[in-house]
Amino acid sequence: MTPELDRRRFLQLAGATALIAACGGAPAATASTAPKATGRISIYSALNETTNNQLFAAFTKATGVEVSALPLAAAGDLQTKITAEKNNPQADIFVGGSSEFHDPLGKQGLLEAYQSPNAKDVQAQFKEASGLWTGWYTGIFGFISNTSRLNADIGGKKPATWDDLLDPVWKQRLILPDPIKTGGGYIFIATQIFRFGKDETKAMDFMKKLHPNILSYGPTSPGVITSITNGEAAGAPNWSHDILTEKAKDPTRIDLTVPTDTGFEVGAVSIVKGTKNPLGAQAFVDWVLTKEAGDLNTKLSNRGSVRTDVAPAPGAPTLTSVKLVNYDRQWATDNKTRIQKLWQAAVGL
Amino acid sequence: MRSLQREPALLLALLAVTALVLLFVVYPQLQVVLTPGPGGYVQFLEEGTWVGPLRNSIQLTLLSTTTAVVLGFVYAYAMVYSNMRWKPFFRLVGILPLLSPPFVVAAAYTLLFGARGVITYGVFGQSPNIYGLNGVWGVQTIAFFPFAYQLIADALSRSDPRMEQAAHNLGAGSWRVFRTVTLPLSRPGLGAAILTTAIYILEDFGNPQLIGGTFYVLPTQAYSLISSFGEYTSAAALSTILLLLALGLYLAKVRLDGGRSFVTISGRASSMPRPPVSAGVSRACFVACLALAGIILLVYGSLVVSALTLRFPNNLQFTTEHFQYVLSGTNGDALRNTLVFSSVAAAVSAVFALFAGWLVQRGHWKGRQALDLLLILPAAIPGIFFGLGYLLAFNQRWLDFVDRGWLIIIAFIFWNIPVGYQAAVAGLRQIDRSIDEAATSLGASSLRGFRDVVLPMLGGSLRVGFVTTFVRAVTTLSLVIFLFTPPTTVATIRIYQLVGDLNWGAATAYTVSDIGMAIIALLIFAVLARGRIALGAARA
Repeated sequence: MTPELDRRRFLQLAGATALIAACGGAPAATASTAPKATGRISIYSALNETTNNQLFAAFTKATGVEVSALPLAAAGDLQTKITAEKNNPQADIFVGGSSEFHDPLGKQGLLEAYQSPNAKDVQAQFKEASGLWTGWYTGIFGFISNTSRLNADIGGKKPATWDDLLDPVWKQRLILPDPIKTGGGYIFIATQIFRFGKDETKAMDFMKKLHPNILSYGPTSPGVITSITNGEAAGAPNWSHDILTEKAKDPTRIDLTVPTDTGFEVGAVSIVKGTKNPLGAQAFVDWVLTKEAGDLNTKLSNRGSVRTDVAPAPGAPTLTSVKLVNYDRQWATDNKTRIQKLWQAAVGL
Repeated sequence: MRSLQREPALLLALLAVTALVLLFVVYPQLQVVLTPGPGGYVQFLEEGTWVGPLRNSIQLTLLSTTTAVVLGFVYAYAMVYSNMRWKPFFRLVGILPLLSPPFVVAAAYTLLFGARGVITYGVFGQSPNIYGLNGVWGVQTIAFFPFAYQLIADALSRSDPRMEQAAHNLGAGSWRVFRTVTLPLSRPGLGAAILTTAIYILEDFGNPQLIGGTFYVLPTQAYSLISSFGEYTSAAALSTILLLLALGLYLAKVRLDGGRSFVTISGRASSMPRPPVSAGVSRACFVACLALAGIILLVYGSLVVSALTLRFPNNLQFTTEHFQYVLSGTNGDALRNTLVFSSVAAAVSAVFALFAGWLVQRGHWKGRQALDLLLILPAAIPGIFFGLGYLLAFNQRWLDFVDRGWLIIIAFIFWNIPVGYQAAVAGLRQIDRSIDEAATSLGASSLRGFRDVVLPMLGGSLRVGFVTTFVRAVTTLSLVIFLFTPPTTVATIRIYQLVGDLNWGAATAYTVSDIGMAIIALLIFAVLARGRIALGAARA
């Protein structure tokens, strides 16, 4: 509501930035010989609130580029916003959220390709070949259990495989993120399909047998974690990093385990086409791919890094420490509506 | 009202209202409706994913509207007719459900009444499964009866006590007076209440999303497509189905109440008291209101408790850290934005809706029905698509110089016109035309007649429009989700982020601050307005 104030503050900050830069106080984060990035960038972020604040502050400190962040925890909202704003783009950077949310934007020509020098060591499966988006963190699908309910109702045994959840001992004691309402719930089904070598019949048979064990299908993935913390059910499939973050608040109440043959996401960063500050945007992509940013993000969010030199958060699974399914991201995206309908028919909804 | 040809000022006013509605309701919404394109619609219809949600939406709307309107009527009757105690208390409690973001309240219901709920499990040792049709039906009933109550109370309090006294003096019992006089006279208000409540329930997203479980309805399906999968063309197609449904509701209502007149006010305000209701009825009213208020207070009490404890409901140690969070740094800015945007929008929207209602209800010109429909239409547009339409229509380079806060305010104004408009039309149908005609016969222009004669008699309708717009602006998340920018963030956005971050303590502290601020604002408005406009409506 106060553009005047903002402009003044911006000038002050820009002045301060220039001063720091002039004194040689800003460390050079970009390895390239390109002209120095300055000014301010607007970031649409699907990351958690605490991660946003500290990550962007560290970026500004490292590069001198100011950040104006628009946070929304639902990546699909941001994808839609960027699509709707294509006549007059308001964002320079779209960060966070699985690559599924970035890829369609790239195909519609709404992203600016950029090959960051810092992305050259990132495995090909974690980035778009022409640089429309680049993966910089990973998230692994795991299982949260409520410790006291696990001991009281299930005999204290955590599931080692997804098939373990078919045991009648889990009857009405599981919550699954809703496969229609949440990305996490859909990834769970897709994971089962890939686990059975794309045999949809077997996967649907699994979902059908699992159905009687499920107390409710949760409306949001984080909401399911709250439900398990409160003991509404004994356990639930969910994102490992979010489970660990919740566990840190009350370590004895809940626990994380990662069943074998699980799915994962690749968190991406991309530059929005029409950016008014391309240098600043590139500086951001370069920076999130540094070890410094990887370490910070790992510490703040418990997610993994695409860099092999970033140590995982304590207790966090890594892509090499757990057995993953061969997750075909494109197939999962292309067949989503059909699979969701198959599932609804299988469980009789 | 004279003919338009004879009063150019009136014609201009009419053109201006129409142009504004076309620009800020029809044009943005067309952008959304046209998004999928013919091919998109064909593909979407063939996929058939909309059949189940459509069926569920209709079922849920029928159930929840019935119960919400019945409860709203009981509450309104008790407030206007009975001699029960604690009316100011009930008035305040009755507005609480309007003042809170639905997704927070729905979450509070699961904490209280869910499988491990504080009440259900903690007190009674039961683990009911509240997710599904029954749960969302119950929650929507509580969440939406206040809308019905507001509109019905406005209509009831305007029915002339003298008619009831006359019936009473002729020997009719209070039930007979109610059935044969009160009820027929309040039909316009009732029709408006049913339609508005039904449309709001139809487009409600928060409650079915959090409590509905796998009982998918159109708004949850549409929102999930956007939020979880970024598929906004299918979502836009779903939104079109919702619009058509709402259109059907509107046509049903038009058929229902035809063009009859319900004139009860003949000019002089009556100071005659209403015929007394028996002590038994007053007691029954009191008990019914107390039960409703009890449920509401339980939910809001739990919000206050969780805002003041470390980790509700697992760790009930007292703390002020959540409120400190709300007040620290720039966290409070969103509260200020909410207050400013909502107040400005409410004032403009209420007056605009009343004026438009007068133009439509009193006019003789062709095309009134079309404008009538357009003024009710926004209620049928889920906030997320209303906001999306604004983004598609008004995010233009040449408009970049305009502060984005204005876009949010304008969206609030036009999204919330229907209630104030409905209240105005219902009110006008109870005021005899001859009253404003008397003014014009004496030489006043129609516009002056509106200002000096009609406006003062419609204080209740104005108040309904103002309060509804204000509270809906304070509580909406979906409308602003595509419109906010970092400096124009509002409270609901912050709460949504905190819930997503599993920071339930801070989320509830923020909600409590938001509700508290809204209540204080409403009280101040009431004090300021007293004496200027007759706030008599629902206060009886």
